[in-house]
Amino acid sequence: MNPFILSILLLSLGLGTTLTFASSHWLLAWMGLEISTLAIIPLMSQHHHPRAVEATTKYFITQAAAAALILFASTTNAWITGQWDINFDLHFFPASMLTMALALKMGLAPVHFWLPEVLQGLDLTTGLILSTWQKLAPFILMCQIMPVNSSLITFLGVTSTLVGGWGGLNQTQLRKILAYSSIAHLGWMILVMQFNQQLALLALIIYIPMTFSTFMIFKTNSSTTVNTLAASWAKTPALTAITPMILLSLGGLPPLSGFMPKWMILQELTKQDIPLTASIAALSALLSLYFYLRVSYAMTLTISPNNLNATTPWRLQTTASTLPLAISATISAMLLPLAPATLALLSL
Amino acid sequence: MLKILIPTLFLLPTTWLTSSKWLWPTALTQSMLIALGSITWLNNTTDTGWTALNSYIGTDPLSTPLLVLSCWLLPLMLLASQNHLSSEPMNRQRMYITLLATLQLFLILAFGATEMIMFYVMFEATLIPTLLVITRWGNQTERLNAGTYFLFYTLAGSLPLLVALLMLQNNTGTLSLLIIPYAKPLLLMPFGSKIWWAACMIAFLVKMPLYGMHLWLPKAHVEAPVAGSMVLAAVLLKLGGYGMMRLMIVLDPLSKEMVYPFIVLALWGVIMTGSICLRQTDLKSLIAYSSVSHMGLVAGGILIQTPWGFTGALILMIAHGLASSALFCLANTNYERTHSRTMLLARGLQIALPLMTTWWFIASLANLALPPLPNLMGELMILTSLFNWSAWTLILTGIGTLITAAYSLYMFLMSQRGPLPQHMLALPPSYTREHLLMALHLIPLLLIILKPALLWGWFAC
Repeated sequence: MNPFILSILLLSLGLGTTLTFASSHWLLAWMGLEISTLAIIPLMSQHHHPRAVEATTKYFITQAAAAALILFASTTNAWITGQWDINFDLHFFPASMLTMALALKMGLAPVHFWLPEVLQGLDLTTGLILSTWQKLAPFILMCQIMPVNSSLITFLGVTSTLVGGWGGLNQTQLRKILAYSSIAHLGWMILVMQFNQQLALLALIIYIPMTFSTFMIFKTNSSTTVNTLAASWAKTPALTAITPMILLSLGGLPPLSGFMPKWMILQELTKQDIPLTASIAALSALLSLYFYLRVSYAMTLTISPNNLNATTPWRLQTTASTLPLAISATISAMLLPLAPATLALLSL
Repeated sequence: MLKILIPTLFLLPTTWLTSSKWLWPTALTQSMLIALGSITWLNNTTDTGWTALNSYIGTDPLSTPLLVLSCWLLPLMLLASQNHLSSEPMNRQRMYITLLATLQLFLILAFGATEMIMFYVMFEATLIPTLLVITRWGNQTERLNAGTYFLFYTLAGSLPLLVALLMLQNNTGTLSLLIIPYAKPLLLMPFGSKIWWAACMIAFLVKMPLYGMHLWLPKAHVEAPVAGSMVLAAVLLKLGGYGMMRLMIVLDPLSKEMVYPFIVLALWGVIMTGSICLRQTDLKSLIAYSSVSHMGLVAGGILIQTPWGFTGALILMIAHGLASSALFCLANTNYERTHSRTMLLARGLQIALPLMTTWWFIASLANLALPPLPNLMGELMILTSLFNWSAWTLILTGIGTLITAAYSLYMFLMSQRGPLPQHMLALPPSYTREHLLMALHLIPLLLIILKPALLWGWFAC
């Protein structure tokens, strides 16, 4: 893509999210969401592949519907309560509408159906932007409207963790696996958001490096299916050795960093006297762990058969920058001992 | 504690920076020195019982024997793995030693933890290196299934444990093992507390394993390479027992009714798994089921919550650790020669490898709890405390002891006595390394006869 156009699109993407972060008026927040949606549309369809265009169309329609619902909800709230400020509590009816609209924006169950199909149609880089950056703006709006209808939020959270787990079990396409992973992690974030927004933010902040690392690993291996990943032991042996750590961190196993948000969220839910919800969420994480484990089995723990030529390729020094992946992989795997520092930083 | 932890941590740079010629001797020497240093922990002379205490880790008479066992096992694991890894590329050998050393680190931190969440994190952390050892270096295709069963059985048990520990923290305000015995009594609800009790215990019962939840163990033990089998049988199962012993103090008034089904399962499991051993054709599977059988007895001893029960459980854990690990090493000597675990294919070995027969004999005797070995001491103490609770358990434990003797004898006779098969003519004689390995397993077991009070836990008086 023309570098000027690319920079305009990426900067608009940044602008949209920043606008939503900085706004205290609902119309401005809605505008930020719309700008980021519009900015990512050309990025999604840049390859002009029919599958990409299909994904773009689906994304546009769902996001536009969600944005319209946000506009409607905030207008209704303005009509009922008389003001547009985000900081003031919402009336319960627009609040529920707004929650469902933001759930549709982010891809929470039961309105998650667009996410796997959209993510599957995108190339890995745009998919990364969709999974990480595009989650920030609706997330922050969701944080600000709390507390709202508690049973709705718990329902969204538990359903998302369960759907994220079960949905990913039958997938062999890596992008769909990451889509269901995103649904499950967002479910965890929503569950705790009604009680402690800092912990939801912690979950998001730990989730982003993990997803970034995974997308970068897949990009390095140019693989989009589990079977293609199986050949990576010959191409990038060091990365092949590290990937199970990243994947198990996504699954939330101690002593990796992915355990930190789960632990803190379970602690918060227990303190709020809903240990049953906590147990259900914890056990549903096992479903997600199964497909992360399966990917790491295919990639690292088994040596897939390969012809003689492919097993000894020349491994030349790569020209792509490896520093981002190195940093995010280290954060994804080794941040747990720094949990007190991370939590302290978030309470500011 | 740091005197042991830091050298264990620095085993990692050692494995990656030593030249390939000196890798195994260096790793072995370093881990052996760490093991000898860890024996000093057995000296528990402080008044409170907690030695080497700081804000995060400490040792007390319960954790010290288990710590010494895990430290002792690392050089033995390295000795056992040296041969089957010698054909692999250097980086993979280094990776294997790294996994074993990280496992060791997590085990020391787990047994030394003074706070329950630290224990929990380290308990779970031991899963990852073990999973990698089983699924990456195991020998058959079933290893993938074995790894999955291992991981998911343990995690399905331990995630409710995490919630239960957090509820406990909510209730008492602390999870420190030093303070919990003196915390205020629990706020008990009629039904919810029973679920909470079960959530606390199930994780450790799956790990031990208790009979109904033991399916992961034969798979994991059989498919793992020898170091994996050794560490699984000797130490990882004991993590379950240790966790149960620690948590029993907190669970007290509930336990009176709640333990019934689990004691029943444990004792029935002793007989059932013992009977399965009598019909096994796979040698490693026999030893694995024998582990379930012994650990069923340990579970019974812990659940009974008497001083003799706890002491017997601790002694049996240590003695079984050494004996079971020795048996797995012996099974591996067979496997390396015949590449088969079938007992029928490797029998009558006394004719071919007579010196190994001595070790087979001693290990089998240890397995069947011959006096004056500590295995018998443990079994007898548990038997007695169970009899004190209910006389009928004697039937179950008595038949269990009988069946244990039967399958241990069966294993010995099958592998050592009888005619040597015609197809096994070119067996390499026993290496000195293998003799050293077996000696290092069984000589400590024999030495414990002289001072078993080292292993009596809190009740050594």
